[in-house]
Amino acid sequence: MKIVVCVKQVPEVTNVQVDPKTGTLIREGVKSILNPFCEYALDHAVRIKNSVPDVSITVITMGPPQARDVLVRSLELGADEGVLITDRKFAGADTWATSLTLAEAIRTVIPDHELVLVGKQAIDGDTAQVGPEIAEILGLPQITYGVEVNLAETRRQVRVTQEVEKGYEVIEAKLPALVTCSKGELVRRAPSFKDVINARKKPIRVVSANELQIPEEQLGLQGSYTQVVKVFPPPAKKSNLLLQNLEAAEAAREIYSFLKEKRFVE
Amino acid sequence: MHEIYSKTAPEVDYSQVKRIEGFETIQCEYSAYLSDESKLSPKPFDYLFFPRSEAELAAVIKMLNQQGTPFTVAGARTGLVGGCVAQEGALISLEFLDKVMEVYRDEPSGEWRVKAQTSVSLKNLDSMLRVKQLPSLEQSPVEAVRRHYAEFRYDPDDYFYPPDPTEMSASLGGSVVTNASGARTYRYGPTRAWVRGMRVFLANGEYLDIPRGRYTASPAGQFVVYDSKGGATTITIPDYPQPRTKSTAGFYTAPQMDLIDLFIGSEGVLGIVTSVDVALLRHEEKVSIIQFVDSDEQAVTLADALRSEGRIQLDFLEFYSGNALDLLRRLQGEEPSTVGMPPIPENAKAALFIEMSFDPHQADLDFSILEAVINDCGGSLERSWAGYESRELDRFKVFRHMVPETINSIIAERKKQYPGIHKLGTDMAVPDGHMREMWDLYRSHCEGLQLEWCAFGHIGNNHIHVNILPRNLDELEKGMELYEIFAQKAVELGGSVSAEHGIGKIKAKFLKYMFNPEQIDQMRRVKKALDPQGLLNPNDIFPVEVTA
Repeated sequence: MKIVVCVKQVPEVTNVQVDPKTGTLIREGVKSILNPFCEYALDHAVRIKNSVPDVSITVITMGPPQARDVLVRSLELGADEGVLITDRKFAGADTWATSLTLAEAIRTVIPDHELVLVGKQAIDGDTAQVGPEIAEILGLPQITYGVEVNLAETRRQVRVTQEVEKGYEVIEAKLPALVTCSKGELVRRAPSFKDVINARKKPIRVVSANELQIPEEQLGLQGSYTQVVKVFPPPAKKSNLLLQNLEAAEAAREIYSFLKEKRFVE
Repeated sequence: MHEIYSKTAPEVDYSQVKRIEGFETIQCEYSAYLSDESKLSPKPFDYLFFPRSEAELAAVIKMLNQQGTPFTVAGARTGLVGGCVAQEGALISLEFLDKVMEVYRDEPSGEWRVKAQTSVSLKNLDSMLRVKQLPSLEQSPVEAVRRHYAEFRYDPDDYFYPPDPTEMSASLGGSVVTNASGARTYRYGPTRAWVRGMRVFLANGEYLDIPRGRYTASPAGQFVVYDSKGGATTITIPDYPQPRTKSTAGFYTAPQMDLIDLFIGSEGVLGIVTSVDVALLRHEEKVSIIQFVDSDEQAVTLADALRSEGRIQLDFLEFYSGNALDLLRRLQGEEPSTVGMPPIPENAKAALFIEMSFDPHQADLDFSILEAVINDCGGSLERSWAGYESRELDRFKVFRHMVPETINSIIAERKKQYPGIHKLGTDMAVPDGHMREMWDLYRSHCEGLQLEWCAFGHIGNNHIHVNILPRNLDELEKGMELYEIFAQKAVELGGSVSAEHGIGKIKAKFLKYMFNPEQIDQMRRVKKALDPQGLLNPNDIFPVEVTA
């Protein structure tokens, strides 16, 4: 049984600083990581693999050549093989062009896929569109916001605990199907050093645009319906009131009049 | 050259310096300044100063000098031996001296160096270097500073400051005066190895600028300090040999030593360091590995084997005993996410934690030598955790720090029932070849008395912290007796009673195991020469007598 996990490389945001002059993100020195939601999806795949015989996991990503790093990371964490879809023609792809490319690559390279797992969204774009779009393009039933993913005993259905506003619902879908995952392991897995070394010996297939049956005008920027015009941080909150170099009584008067003006006190 | 001239800082009005008067006010409103990580209780003191510049510091020192008021100096208050816990007079907090002043390339050595004020935290320095952003330099009014910073940013390589004393909220200056070490000392040596210059204020309020390499002791083992009023002070350096292991016990000394080395590791009793120049090193990608093994003894054997294998270059080699892992298991049982790592495998009975250079992009990684050493000791690389992304390195580091933090919280809880209880953590190091003997002693004594204990730390430097967790005052007393036995044994083996925590106020009684009375007197004479009234950091290293 083949499980496909779609993964994305994203900037490691914990250390990102904002340039005080331009207000934009400083990208220098910022490392890339496997998108945490993709890691959840991979975690579900590895759990299934560890509990059911004859399961293999293929991880697939679209991106520049350095996106290979997230495939290697996924191979360390338990995937069996990787597929890197890379070509200059894919550059500038929006969610639609990305989904089209990923779906076509899944259809072409892993035609016998039975379960496709994706993260619910990437932490850099936050659109949550790619998973559902891939399902639509491949004509697969989809379950979103999965927190538990299991195969039914017959292995013909996937049973998913789905996060909904008021709690959880358990939903089944016939395989092949696609599940987007919003939670996974409580703490990230830690591969052994042996896994780290062996991951570099596992196969990664590189796929270019001309191996996919997609007209060129539907790829990359050309095939995108949307375009990022500008990236900017949300406006900073109004600065706090800071009183300095005042005598205590004067400071107290200032604070009181401020609170009164805001109607916190009479 | 063994002669040096002290200089005076610009004069400022003493009354302008921010100060808090009265112990009651300090206790109520500035309670954080009463102690440090040692949790040693202070004795009443009268003033708390916050100088904002070296000139303000000089004004404070001069005034205290005139009054004959003793003063204790505090940085980030992360010390473990009560060094900055005031017990009389005044406390001077250096926290506002916290600017990075320059990054520059030293042409003769080809090194990039950072000049920074004493209270820049190691954590901030590390974060700024990681992204090569040193905002205070960009806005510097000095053209050369801005130019050097631009050159640094233009350099395609990344750089880091190697000393890593685990407690990264420590201040840079504090780490210099305590010669802080930590895990990475295994490869890079202690802080001393990275200090290239300093400015130090003496007890008389004047300061010395000491670049490394300029002032060395005369063949007779002396330095002469001339002050601005024409006075001369002769310092005779001690002549005892240094232990054959890392050590922060007592002043550093060596024939024709560099004057800067006298101040590094002196715990602030000879002067107040206000700025330092430290060297940076080109950054390499690293992998952290936690290697699980079957027993504590297997870990000791594997540590010896890794150290003896010259073809393996580790940055650090750390140890967790089986009972330290049990402590973390208990935490995981209560709340799995607390520890931040997957469940510790049931069959893990001890662990070694190593870090080394690693290129994640290399297709055919060859770690066969490492694997062979581990296999020969009965271990397996399959029983390990590994991480190399920066977030993973950070996560592993947090895990490493979690054992001592957990111990601290257990002790804090027990203190509620027995206020007299405190942690008993050893800090002894022994020379190569003696770790097994020392370990057997630790284990047999702790188990013999049925104490709750665990061990962790720098096994690569034969420097394991044994922590005894007394459950009552009787166990505390038993633990204190053990501590003395351990200290004597470490010295007998040629080691140190304090490998990294220092002496401060808490460990002064252990100096006598390492040094004879004449040697301790030699240290006292150095102190007396530089601080004749005994005002600076009283009771640190030398309890009361010298200050009398």
